[in-house]
Amino acid sequence: MKQLLDSDLELVVESNFIYLPLLFDPEIENEIQTVFRSKKQIENSVKPDLKTIIKVKDKYFVKALNLPSLLENYEVINAYDYKRLRNDCLLKYQLTDEVDGIFLDETLKIILFQIMPHFIKKNSGLTRKKFNDKEILDLINRKINIPARYYKNAETFKNLAPLKNIIENLEIQTPVFKPPGNGILTGRKLRDWFHNAVQAKILKSERHRIAKSLKVREQFNQTKPEHIAILLYISDMGALEIDGFGFTRHNSYKGEYFVYKRTKEFVLTDYYARSYLFPECSVAVSTYLPFRPFVMEKYKHPFLLGHKSGQEICLKESVPSSELSAKNVIRTLEEGITALRYGYDCRRRNGYHSLDRTWVYIPTIDFEDYRI
Amino acid sequence: MDLLKNIKQKRSKQKQKQPFKRNVFNLISSIVKQYHLKKSFLDILDNVEDDLSSKNLNLTRIRVKAPLDSPLFSLASKDQYSLTMSIISNVDNPYLKFAHSPEEIIWCKPLYRLNPAMDSEKLMRYHFRTLYLHERAKVEIEKPKPTDAKN
Repeated sequence: MKQLLDSDLELVVESNFIYLPLLFDPEIENEIQTVFRSKKQIENSVKPDLKTIIKVKDKYFVKALNLPSLLENYEVINAYDYKRLRNDCLLKYQLTDEVDGIFLDETLKIILFQIMPHFIKKNSGLTRKKFNDKEILDLINRKINIPARYYKNAETFKNLAPLKNIIENLEIQTPVFKPPGNGILTGRKLRDWFHNAVQAKILKSERHRIAKSLKVREQFNQTKPEHIAILLYISDMGALEIDGFGFTRHNSYKGEYFVYKRTKEFVLTDYYARSYLFPECSVAVSTYLPFRPFVMEKYKHPFLLGHKSGQEICLKESVPSSELSAKNVIRTLEEGITALRYGYDCRRRNGYHSLDRTWVYIPTIDFEDYRI
Repeated sequence: MDLLKNIKQKRSKQKQKQPFKRNVFNLISSIVKQYHLKKSFLDILDNVEDDLSSKNLNLTRIRVKAPLDSPLFSLASKDQYSLTMSIISNVDNPYLKFAHSPEEIIWCKPLYRLNPAMDSEKLMRYHFRTLYLHERAKVEIEKPKPTDAKN
């Protein structure tokens, strides 16, 4: 089927059927001659819809595929191609779940407009000013190099006319696609028509999504294209990082994020006042329970149990909050960072491990490679 | 009783499986498709006799047939079909069904003219050019030499 549509083969479309060039051997030729010799006799008795072989410009074509049936069942016939066409179609109108979801994502709003301003440098010099949402988006736009295609997509997003047109057409029940018209067509031309027809069918099936998307777009119609581009960029990349603060979308839990802050290198001293240089790491907290700080990378520290990624930081006296709010996330992140940088007491050797090897040394995690 | 036996024998023979024989159309059609032959090939076929007379051919080495993957049933597009049928009607001899390449189709006519009674085993095994040169050499040996004629 795919080979057929990708070829330059001449095909005939008649009465909603694709007719393919007839292949010959001596027996088929005899049959054809017999059929077309008696054609005049049978012409009146046979409906044109039921013609199995037709002759167009001295070439014979044989009835092969029913176009409406092919369209109807294309999802099953070629699931991979159907999925690809569907994705292309939804992307063309920016109709993906992520795009609509991102504009209504309350968690993301908290991260972007309440948590992020706490951690990033907003003002130059000594000026202090509280930023509103639009100013924060402007700041992100200045700090992040967003590829041009997201600005183009933002223009598409803001243009409500195509979606309104689709909805209107669906409401007045006009056919979703025009038939290709009878006659000879090349395989590629038929493919183009077929792809358009499949996409029209997909749009019809996505009517509710289009209506929902239209509402969202009307709501955000006054938003600057640059701001929409930022949100589309976040929706696509699933992550953003500015000045060591960032967030990344959780792969398994929809609508959940990891919010993190990178620590710079820091030095801890052991019982004998020897210094250990710890490399930088990202202290993170998830937007779902439990709200405990952890280190994202593979890392070792007296407050971490092992030497691997995603370890919770040991905070003995801290009680984790039970509610997602900007204040709680900021507090948890700061507690995590403070614990790593300043929590270790060389006299008490607190935490899971000691920096120096004690006289009853049991080798667990060793920090000798960090010694300076 | 004899009649009954006779009928039974006939029926058992009819029931026996007959080996499938590829017909000339399937074979030539697959050569046309495999080698992408065009209509100009027919001109070569028409002029093969003239070309042979002008060439000085020597039997240098024995050539073996090239293997050919031909399907059991071949279907051809209209152009390929008309070319295949033209080749079959142009050559029109029983050796054609042993040809495995366009070159052998070309050699088919002269070979048949030189010796129309070759056995199928030779035709299946050796390239038609080799067979043609071999047959021509045989004919030349059998020709009476001018010195013999004097004696």
